[in-house]
Amino acid sequence: MSDDYLWDKRGEPDPDVQRLEQILGTLRYQEKPLEFPEQIAPARSINPVFLLAIAATLLIALVAAGLWLMVRKNQMPRNQLAIAPAAHSTPKPEKEAIAPNKPKTAEPVAANNPETQRRPHFAKAKIPAKPALSPMEQQEAFAAKQQLLLALRLASEKLNEVQRRTVAPTTPMKNQHKVG
Amino acid sequence: MKSLFHHNYLKLLIATSFLTMAVQISQAQTPRLQLNSLDHLAAKASETVDVSIDERLIQTAIKIFKDEDPDEREIKKLVSGLKGIYVKSFEFEKEGEYTTADLQAVRVQLQDPAWSRIVNVSSKKDGNIEVYLRMHNDQIIGLAVLSAELKELTIVNLIGPVDLEKLTKLEGRMGVPELGIEPTKPKTKNEQ
Repeated sequence: MSDDYLWDKRGEPDPDVQRLEQILGTLRYQEKPLEFPEQIAPARSINPVFLLAIAATLLIALVAAGLWLMVRKNQMPRNQLAIAPAAHSTPKPEKEAIAPNKPKTAEPVAANNPETQRRPHFAKAKIPAKPALSPMEQQEAFAAKQQLLLALRLASEKLNEVQRRTVAPTTPMKNQHKVG
Repeated sequence: MKSLFHHNYLKLLIATSFLTMAVQISQAQTPRLQLNSLDHLAAKASETVDVSIDERLIQTAIKIFKDEDPDEREIKKLVSGLKGIYVKSFEFEKEGEYTTADLQAVRVQLQDPAWSRIVNVSSKKDGNIEVYLRMHNDQIIGLAVLSAELKELTIVNLIGPVDLEKLTKLEGRMGVPELGIEPTKPKTKNEQ
C-alpha cells in the first residue's frame, strides 16, 4: 500500500485516511462574508443633555470673556486719567526740584549761547509734523468739532444756570437797608 | 463617573455665573450713563439734541482746533483729557411731555455710591437741575448734569478729568451764547 492517497489523493484510498477526512473535513475553512455581531456595535451613545451642557458652558464662557475684554477696554482710559492730571501739575515743581540752586542768570547765559540757541531749532525739526487729514477725516473732524462745541455749550449753559440759581437767593440782601 | 461629571459641570457653571456677574458689576462702575431709555422722548420733542462723542472722535476733533486762536486753544485743553461726551436734550412744545418715570432709569444709575450729587436746585417755576460728580483719587472722572425743566429735559454726561471752572467760563466763547450771568470774581493776590 502506497502513501500516494495520503499526499495527493492518487491510487487506492485508505479507509482510515478517508474516515479522518470526514471527521476533520467539518473544520475546514469555509469562506463567508464578514459580519459583526450586534453586541460589538457602539454600545454607548453620548447623552445629548451633556452635549448641550458643554455647549452652554462654552457659550457662557465666551460671553464672559467678551464682557471682560470690553470692561478692560473701558477701564484702561480710567487708569490713564489718574496719570494725566499729574502730568499737568508736575513740570514746574520738577524743574525746581532738579535744580533748586540754579542761578537766575543761567537763562540769559543760555540765551546768549549760540549752541543753546540752536537747540530749539533742532528740537523743532525733531517734532513730527501734524499728519495731514484726508478730506474724509477732515469732514469727520469738522462734524465732531461741531458736536463737541454743541455739547460743551449745553454743559456750560447748564452749569451757569446752576450757578445763577444758587447765587440768586443771596442777591436781595444787597437791597436791604442798614439798620441803625 | 456620571455624578463626577455633573459635579464638575455645576462647579464650572457657578464659577462662570459669578464671573459674568462680576463683569457686569464692574461695567456698571464706569462713569458713562446709559441714556437709551430716553430715546422714546424724541418723538414727542419739538427739538432734540443727541450728542455722542467717544474718545476717538474727541481726538479727531482736536486735530482741527487752531492753536493760534486762544479760545480754541482753551477748549482744546479742556477736552483733550476727556474720554467721552454724551448729551441728550429734548425741548417740548408744552409742559408735561415727560414724566419722572422717564428719568428713573438715569436716576438709578446716579444713585450708585460712586456718584455724588454736589448741587440740586429745585424750583416749581424753573424745574430742577442736579449736578453729579464721580471722583477717583481726588480727581473728577465723570460729570453728569440732569436738568429737568418744564418744557426741556437735558442730560449731560462728560467722562474724564473735567475742569468745572473752565467749563463754566466757556459760555460766550467760540459761538457759545452767553446768558448774561456775572462771572465769579477773580481772586485777588491777598486772597490767594
